[in-house]
Amino acid sequence: MMGRFIVRRLLSLLAVLFAITVLTFLIFQAIPGGDPAVRMAGRTATPQEVNDVRQQWGFDQPIYVQYAKTMQKIFDGSVVSYRQQINVEEEIARDLPATVSLAVGAAIIWLLFGVLAGIASAMHAGRPLDRALGLLALTGLSTPVFLLGAVMLYYLGYKLKLLPLEGYVGLTSDPWGWFTHMLMPWIALSVVSIGVYSRVLRSNLLDTMGEDYVRTARAKGLSERRVLIRHVLRNSLAPIIALWGLDFAWVIGGGAILVESVFNLGGVGEYAAQSIQSLDVPPVMVITMLVACAVVITSAIVDVVNAALDPRVRLQ
Amino acid sequence: MSNHVLRDIHNDARTPVREGESNVNRVLRLFVCLSLLPAVLVGLSACGSSTSGGTITVLMGTAPDSLDPGIGATTQSMEATWIAYTGLVTYAHSNGEAGTKLIPGAAESLPTVSSDGKTYTFKLRPGLVYSDGTLVRASDFAHAIERTIKLNWGNKGMLTEHIVGGEAFDKGKASSISGIKTDDATGTIKITLTVPYGPFLNVLAFPAAALLPSSTPMSAQPNNPPAGIGPYEITNVISNRSFELKRNPNWPAHSIPGIPSGHADIDVRIVSNNQSEAEQVLSGSADVFDYNDTIPPTLISKVESQASERYAKEPTVSGEFFFLNVKSKPFSSPLVRQAVNWALDRRALDRLDSGMLQPACFFLPTGMPGHPTAPCPYGDPGAAPNLAKAKELVKQSGLAGTTVSVWGQARSPHKEFVDYYTGVLNAIGLKATEKIVASEQYYATIGNLSTNAQTGWASFSQDFPNPSDFYQLLDAHSILPKENHNLSQVEDPHIQSEIASLSPVPSSQLDSVVGRWQSLDEYTAKQAYLAEFGYDEAPKFVSQRIDFGALVFHPVYGDDWSTLALK
Repeated sequence: MMGRFIVRRLLSLLAVLFAITVLTFLIFQAIPGGDPAVRMAGRTATPQEVNDVRQQWGFDQPIYVQYAKTMQKIFDGSVVSYRQQINVEEEIARDLPATVSLAVGAAIIWLLFGVLAGIASAMHAGRPLDRALGLLALTGLSTPVFLLGAVMLYYLGYKLKLLPLEGYVGLTSDPWGWFTHMLMPWIALSVVSIGVYSRVLRSNLLDTMGEDYVRTARAKGLSERRVLIRHVLRNSLAPIIALWGLDFAWVIGGGAILVESVFNLGGVGEYAAQSIQSLDVPPVMVITMLVACAVVITSAIVDVVNAALDPRVRLQ
Repeated sequence: MSNHVLRDIHNDARTPVREGESNVNRVLRLFVCLSLLPAVLVGLSACGSSTSGGTITVLMGTAPDSLDPGIGATTQSMEATWIAYTGLVTYAHSNGEAGTKLIPGAAESLPTVSSDGKTYTFKLRPGLVYSDGTLVRASDFAHAIERTIKLNWGNKGMLTEHIVGGEAFDKGKASSISGIKTDDATGTIKITLTVPYGPFLNVLAFPAAALLPSSTPMSAQPNNPPAGIGPYEITNVISNRSFELKRNPNWPAHSIPGIPSGHADIDVRIVSNNQSEAEQVLSGSADVFDYNDTIPPTLISKVESQASERYAKEPTVSGEFFFLNVKSKPFSSPLVRQAVNWALDRRALDRLDSGMLQPACFFLPTGMPGHPTAPCPYGDPGAAPNLAKAKELVKQSGLAGTTVSVWGQARSPHKEFVDYYTGVLNAIGLKATEKIVASEQYYATIGNLSTNAQTGWASFSQDFPNPSDFYQLLDAHSILPKENHNLSQVEDPHIQSEIASLSPVPSSQLDSVVGRWQSLDEYTAKQAYLAEFGYDEAPKFVSQRIDFGALVFHPVYGDDWSTLALK
């Protein structure tokens, strides 16, 4: 049953990935109107340069040839930024470790603390601890990332000199340096999500606690801890895991632009921001595709995990 | 360079020099310092003077567009490339207006210019070598110019529109530029122009016109910039992240008079967060704050109080003004234009710009040859405005109550400038409302003649230190249907005849006509064709390790890194 589910999910993943490539191609090259070669070559390009771009990308040929050439350039790693004349995929590959470090660390933190706070709130619903955690969650939710980042940089980095002010250090070159450089970005990125996850989980847990099967489990004489972990938490976690997967993929694809910029991590998000500012189309297109693929693939993995947690998912 | 090597360099380059020090590290450092005390005492004799050697960390808020001199056109790019790529001529490494003086670079002297102003003849310094040891030849110049044109340098029009054969080469109709003749045996370079073009030497002073070895590929080399002539060479480029300037080992053999040899190697890191950039320089974990960036208002008082001996506001050669469309009521009336100039409180505009504006009234900024020395015709810009007089002038014009659309950019502080200006126009008897446009679309919108923009904010920074660069904004030939640069739409016969007479004067002879430029700019101010309100200032801010006094703030390239030295 599980094997068939995975095969089915893989096939739909391939179909969605194909659809994404077509959509991205249409959004960047076909739909906006005008000459895509002019758009791609940038504002200062000469007629000769525009002509070169037209030939390289096949813009003077039928649309399916244009699509094929665009995909070929993306998949063989030959897309070049027209502003800086730099290979885009090499830039992304270089920046990805910083972004992955940010995403993995922050995702662990927000999942761990979000789940702990959600459980504590649900277990003490209506009591002072629940109210305090609710207030904390709201504070986290309403604190802008750039403000939190600036405050942490000032106090922890500049005043107290406890943590480095900015930059990224490779995990393999200096594990401790990597950790100290990532700690503030992780916290800044996690705070909002911890608030969201704890509130969503609290609500799910309270709903699940009222279900018949939970009452039955209690009636069977199971301990409260066993009821919570085996029956309540397991069934309440599915939406959290789905949400986590999407958020994680969003960060991997460069979604944490603000955090990367505030802490100067030099990740994919920062590269995306620089490219958007200078209206450099090739990197923006490749990064858009990366984000979409990251979201689709992570969501497929999350589905498989959910199916393992909840057998009903396999039957849907 | 393989990807593997790139990644390794990247990791190293991203490791901040002295960041993230724990208290334990500081104690250890104190112990080491104490143990080195005797050596320090011996070295005290050198106290107070700058030293050679070491590495200085420079921060930049925005990455250079490219470090290949054939492409780089932004100030961030040229801040680095001008000390690695010396052209036939270059600028004196001096503060203020002295820094606008052209001096011989790779050429042994300033050129001889033919009597018709169209032919420039240079002779190369003998025995020059590039940073990679290759001998410099005259024919390298032609190769470098052709490469810059082929790589589509942002200002290449300055070359193609003026050198004979430049356009034909650019369009692929010629394999070389017919207006450049070189002789390797004698080291002679002869350049023929289509028409006399006074600022041509300024164009040749751009790093994009510097000599490069003829073996340099005709393709962009952003991560591995070519060899050049200069005290530094650019290495270890991690695009958009960091790069290094190492002292050129081949430079001491043929140092060029007037060009410093450099004191220290320079590591440049791109830091996208200005707050972090300022905090690092304040705390000493980096050495130089980029003059192109803004110190956040929350930190400026801290910088002024805690680092006053290593912080200064330096004037840049750029101006902020409100254009007044003379073809549209009410600004077709000289009285209304004068009223606007009388009414502006330039001190208030300075406050809106966080104190980084030098109140002014003349179009040519301080530091630009030709900047007038006469008093302002409509009141002292550093004093209170004369609103009563302004109201009276508007009344006299008979145009009180005329509706005015004031154009502005959404970006701060430009939006605030326009808020204030609109209030002033209303206060003197006009009926003004704002039209705010997104920053990216602003100049395209107001530069379209069909918009018929009456008045609004604008600013201009020099391309090179020649007054003709500024006066293209008041040249009737710049009134164009779509990319109109003459926003006030001035068509003044006196200005036209003076531009026609002064612009062809070669920059090397600019001193001979500075007085006429001054007179012209005083005339422009009296006509009130625009309301100039200030010249931008930039922060010169370094760490305690740096010899602040020795650092030159150059009027064209900002912080002159070749003068950076550790104390």
